Amino acid sequence: MISAPRNRALRNPSPRSRLLPATTLALALVATACGSDSDTAGEDGTVRLVVSIDAGLEQGAVDAFNERVAQFEAANDDVTVEVQEYTWTATTFTAQLAGGTLPDVFTVPFTDGRGLIERRQVSDISGQVAELPYGDSFNPTVVSAGTDDDGNVWAVPIAAYGQALHYNRTLFEEAGLDPDTPPTTWEEVREAADTISEETGQAGYTMMTSGNTGGWILTSMNYAFGGRTEVLDGDDATATIDTPEMAEALELVRTMRWEDDSMGANFLYEWESINQDFSSGRIGMYVSGGGNYGNLVTQNAIDPDDYGVAALPLADHPDAGVLGGGDLAVVRADAEPEVVDAGVRWIDFYYLAKLTDEEASVLDARTLAEAGQPVGSPQLAVFDQETHEAKLGWQEEYVNVPLEQMTPYTDAMFEQPLVNEPTRSTQEVYALLDPVVQAVLTDRDADVAALLAEAEAAAQAQIDRE
Amino acid sequence: MRLVLGALLGLLFLVGLGPMLWLARAAVTPTQNTLREPLSLWSNPLDWANLYTAWARFDIDLHMFNTVVIAAGAWLVQIVVATTAGYALSVLRPRYRKAVTGIVLATLFVPSVVLLVPLYLTVLDPPLLGTSLVNSFWAVWLPAGANAFNVLLVQRFFDNLPREVFEAARMDGAGPFRLFWSVVLPMSKPILGVVSVFAVIASWKDFLWPMLVLPDPAVQPLSVRLPALRSFVELDVFLSALALSSVIPIALFLMFQRTFLRGGGLGGAVKG
Amino acid sequence: MSLTRTAEPATPPPGPPPAVPATPGPRRRSPRSWARGGGPACLVFLLPLFLVFGVFSWWPIVRAVVMSFQRTNLVSAPTFVGLDNFAYVLSDPLLGTAVTNTLYFAVLSLVFGYPIPLLAAVLMSEVRRARGLFSVLAYLPVVVPPVVSVLLWQFFYDGGSTGVFNTVLGWFGFGPVGWLQDPVMAMPSLVLVATWSAAGGTVIIYLAALTSVNPDLYDAAEMDGASIWRKVWHVTLPQLRGILLITFILQIIGTAQVFLEPFLLTGGGPANSTTTVLLLIYDYAFATSLGGDYGAATALSLMLAVFLAVLSAVYFRLTRSWSSS
Repeated sequence: MISAPRNRALRNPSPRSRLLPATTLALALVATACGSDSDTAGEDGTVRLVVSIDAGLEQGAVDAFNERVAQFEAANDDVTVEVQEYTWTATTFTAQLAGGTLPDVFTVPFTDGRGLIERRQVSDISGQVAELPYGDSFNPTVVSAGTDDDGNVWAVPIAAYGQALHYNRTLFEEAGLDPDTPPTTWEEVREAADTISEETGQAGYTMMTSGNTGGWILTSMNYAFGGRTEVLDGDDATATIDTPEMAEALELVRTMRWEDDSMGANFLYEWESINQDFSSGRIGMYVSGGGNYGNLVTQNAIDPDDYGVAALPLADHPDAGVLGGGDLAVVRADAEPEVVDAGVRWIDFYYLAKLTDEEASVLDARTLAEAGQPVGSPQLAVFDQETHEAKLGWQEEYVNVPLEQMTPYTDAMFEQPLVNEPTRSTQEVYALLDPVVQAVLTDRDADVAALLAEAEAAAQAQIDRE
Repeated sequence: MRLVLGALLGLLFLVGLGPMLWLARAAVTPTQNTLREPLSLWSNPLDWANLYTAWARFDIDLHMFNTVVIAAGAWLVQIVVATTAGYALSVLRPRYRKAVTGIVLATLFVPSVVLLVPLYLTVLDPPLLGTSLVNSFWAVWLPAGANAFNVLLVQRFFDNLPREVFEAARMDGAGPFRLFWSVVLPMSKPILGVVSVFAVIASWKDFLWPMLVLPDPAVQPLSVRLPALRSFVELDVFLSALALSSVIPIALFLMFQRTFLRGGGLGGAVKG
Repeated sequence: MSLTRTAEPATPPPGPPPAVPATPGPRRRSPRSWARGGGPACLVFLLPLFLVFGVFSWWPIVRAVVMSFQRTNLVSAPTFVGLDNFAYVLSDPLLGTAVTNTLYFAVLSLVFGYPIPLLAAVLMSEVRRARGLFSVLAYLPVVVPPVVSVLLWQFFYDGGSTGVFNTVLGWFGFGPVGWLQDPVMAMPSLVLVATWSAAGGTVIIYLAALTSVNPDLYDAAEMDGASIWRKVWHVTLPQLRGILLITFILQIIGTAQVFLEPFLLTGGGPANSTTTVLLLIYDYAFATSLGGDYGAATALSLMLAVFLAVLSAVYFRLTRSWSSS
C-alpha cells in the first residue's frame, strides 16, 4: 500500500450543503463569462461587485440570472456586476476566506450564520439593512439567525423552513397504514415505524447521524420534546445537553432501535445518502427540512406518488418547538464600504425581490419550472404571513409539486412554534452529538446518561474556547 | 498451481473489472433501477439517451480537453523536476545530497490537507511572479511537480544504473548536460513510463485542488466539473458522465500498460 | 516587463556555459568529482526541484508551522498564542481515540494489506503468459473514481440482510453483519476498502522487483528440484528484501495519514470508532468552525510529521545493516 502520488480527491462531506441546492437554485450561472479579471474597481470609477451563482445550472437559469444582472446594473449605474460561480464546500470556503477570493455576496445556511458572525468572517450590514423598506418587518425568529448578540443584522435571511417528518406513502399503504393520516405524536411515529418494518421489511424510521447531521437531527428531536441545547445569559452561554428532554429523545431512539428493531440497518446516514435511500423506497419516515422534496426529485428521481410530508410531532411540553433553518445572504468580511453598500442593494434586488415583488417572483418561478426544477415545496415566511401568501399566489400557476400530498404538513406548519438553531458553536456542538446518536444506534448497552454528561462537558469547553 | 492462478484471475476480474462494468451498466440505467436493484446484472429499459444528455449537460468535450491539457502539463512538470533532481542527486552527487534528499523526503510526512490554505495563499501571490495564478493551468501544473515520491523513485532508479556507462561517456568527453540528455535519459525510459502513469492518473483523479484554483468553469477539468453539477442532475445522468469520463484514463492506461507494467523500469528502481 | 523575463534567482551566477565540447578535450574531470562540492551544473539541475518544492511545498509548510502558533479567523491579522494550540490539541479527549484508531488501522493494514499484494505478486510472477492481463486487472481499482467506489462499497457493506456481503454470509447461515454500521467491524471493513484501492500499485512494484530477480538463481533452484514454495522462500523473498523494507515504512507513513476511506465511508463513525488522526485534523480545520481552528489543525499536523520523521529515521538506522548486507 504505497501512498504514491498524493490523492487530493475528496468529496464534499455535505454536512451543511444540505440547504443550499433547494433554495438557492435560482441563482443561475454563467458558463464562460466568469469574473477572472483583476481586483481593481470597475471601469469609469464604478463599484465592482462580485455576486455568486450556483455552479452548473441549466442554460435557461443562467440566462435569467444574467437578465437580472443587466436589470440591476441599469437601475444602479454606479455598480458593475461580475458573476462568480460559487458552491459551498467546507474546504474551498475556508481557503477562499483566507485568500479573500470569495464573492462579495454569497449565501450560507443558517447553521453557519452565527459562527461566521461570532468570528467576524462576514461584514456588518445592519446599517444598510435597516434602511431597506422592509428592514424591520422580518419574521423575528427567522432573522435572529443572522444577528449578533446585540441584535444587529449581519446576514439577511432569504429562505426559511422548519423541520418536518417526511414519509413514504407507498410503504404506508403496504403496511396497512393510512397515508393521509400520518403520525402526529412520537408514540404514533414509533408504532407506525414498527408496523412498517414488520410488514414491509424496510426501515420504519431512520435518522441522519453523520457529518454533523446527527447533532442537527437530535437537536430537532430535543426541541420537539421541549429541550434546548444551550441557555444564554448575557454574554455567557451554558451548554445544556444532559437534560431530561434529550434523554427522552434518545430513549425513544433506543427503543425503536433495540426493542422494536424498526430503524433498519444503516446508522451512518448523512444528508445525501438518506435522501437516496428514501427515494428508493427503503425508508418509511425521517426528519429533514420541510422543503426537501426538491432534492429528492432533482437528484434521486423519487416517484412523486411515494412522497408525503407531515408536521414534526411536538411533545406536550410548553417549550416544544420546531427547529428552523434556511439560507442567509452575506457580504464578505473584507469588502470596502461602497462594495458592502452595493452588496446589500444586490441582496435586496435579487434575493428578496422574489419574496416581495410580483414581477421578480413570477420570473423566478417560471425560470425554475422551465428548467424542470420543482416549484412550490413548502417554505416558511421570511417576512410576515401576508407577504408570504402573496408570493404563493404569484407563483401558483408554476407549481409542479404534489401539493395535496403535503397538506398534513402545510396545514399545520404555520401554527407550530419555530425555534432557532443553537447560536454558540453550532457546528461544533452538532459534531459532538453525532457520536452520541451513533453510539445509541450501534451499541445495545450504550450508557445514555454518561454519553450526555460527556457531550455536555465537551460542548461547554467548545463554547468557552470561542 | 493452475487452480490457484485461475482463482486469482477470477478474483482480479471481480475486483478490478467489476466496478468498471458496474459503472458502464449504471450509465444506461434509470436512476430508480440503479438505486433499487444496484446489483442486478441487467436492467430492462436501457436508457441510452443518458449518454447524450450527460455529454451535452456536462460539456464533456470542453472539460475533457481541459483534463487532457492539465494532465499533460502536470506530467511534463513532474518529469522535468523528477529527472533533473534525480540526476543531480544520484549521478552528479553533490556534497549536500543527503540534506536535499532529506528535506524532499520530509514533505511526505506533512498531510496535504492541512497545506490547502497555505498553498492556496502562495498560489494567490506567488514569489517572483507577482501575479495570481488562479484560473491559470500553472496553478495546477507547478504544485503537481512538488511530488517527493517521484523524485525518490527516479533517484533510486538512477542509483542502480551502471556507473561504467557514465565513465565511458565521460571518456568520450561528455559534460554533465550531454550525459543527462544523451545517456541517462535514454536509459531511463522505463522509469519515465512509471512516473508518467502515476502522474496522469493522479491528475485525472485530483479534485480538491483544481476546484480551488480554477473557479472559472471554462478552465475546469472533468474531475471538478462533475461534482459541481452533482446537485442539479439526476443520479443516472451523473453516472453516465462519470462513465464517459472514465473511458479516457482507462484507454490511456491500457496504452501505457506495456511500458508501465513490463516491470523493467520499476525493477531498477526498487531492486534491493 | 523585461525585468521578469529572466526568472533565475540571483545566486549563483550561471558561470561559463559548460557546453558540449566540439572535440574531445584534454582530460576532463569525471562527472562525479567534477560536481563534488555542488558545482554550478549540479545547481542548474537542481533548480527545478528547488523552485517547485521551495515555492509549492517547503514555503507552504513553513507557513503552516507559523500558523500552528497563531490563532486566526483567516480574515483579520492573526495573533500569536504560543503553545496554546498544542495544549488544546493535547487536551482534546478525541486525540487519544484518534491515535488509537490510527494505530489499529495501521496494524490491521500491515496484517492484511501488506502480505496480500506480496502474495498476489509472487503468484503472478509464476504466470508465463498473459501476465499483462493480471497486472492491468490488479491496477484497475486505482483508476476507479472515488464517487463510484463509495457507492459500490455502500451497496456491498449494506448492513441489512439484503446487502451483498450479507447475502453471501446468509448462504452459509451466518446472520447479517453490520460492517460499517458496527463499531467493532467498521475499522476492519475500512481496511479492506483501503487494501482494495491501494494494493494494485504495490503489486505492480513487487512484480517489477520479482521479474528482475536473476533467472540463474531460479534455474539453480529448479535443478535442485525445489518446490515452488521453497523457491519463493529461499530465492524470491530474499531478493525482495530491499523493496520490502521500503514499502514497509511507506505503508506506515501512508496509514498514519489515512483519511479518504473513513472520510468517505463512515465520517469517523459509528461513535468515533473510525476517527483517525487525519480526520481529526480535517475536522479542526474545515468541518466544524470554518478555519477557526486552523491553528489546532496545523499544530496536530506538525506533531504527526515530527513523529513520522523520527520514526523513519529510527527505522532506517535500525535496518541499515540488514538492508545493505
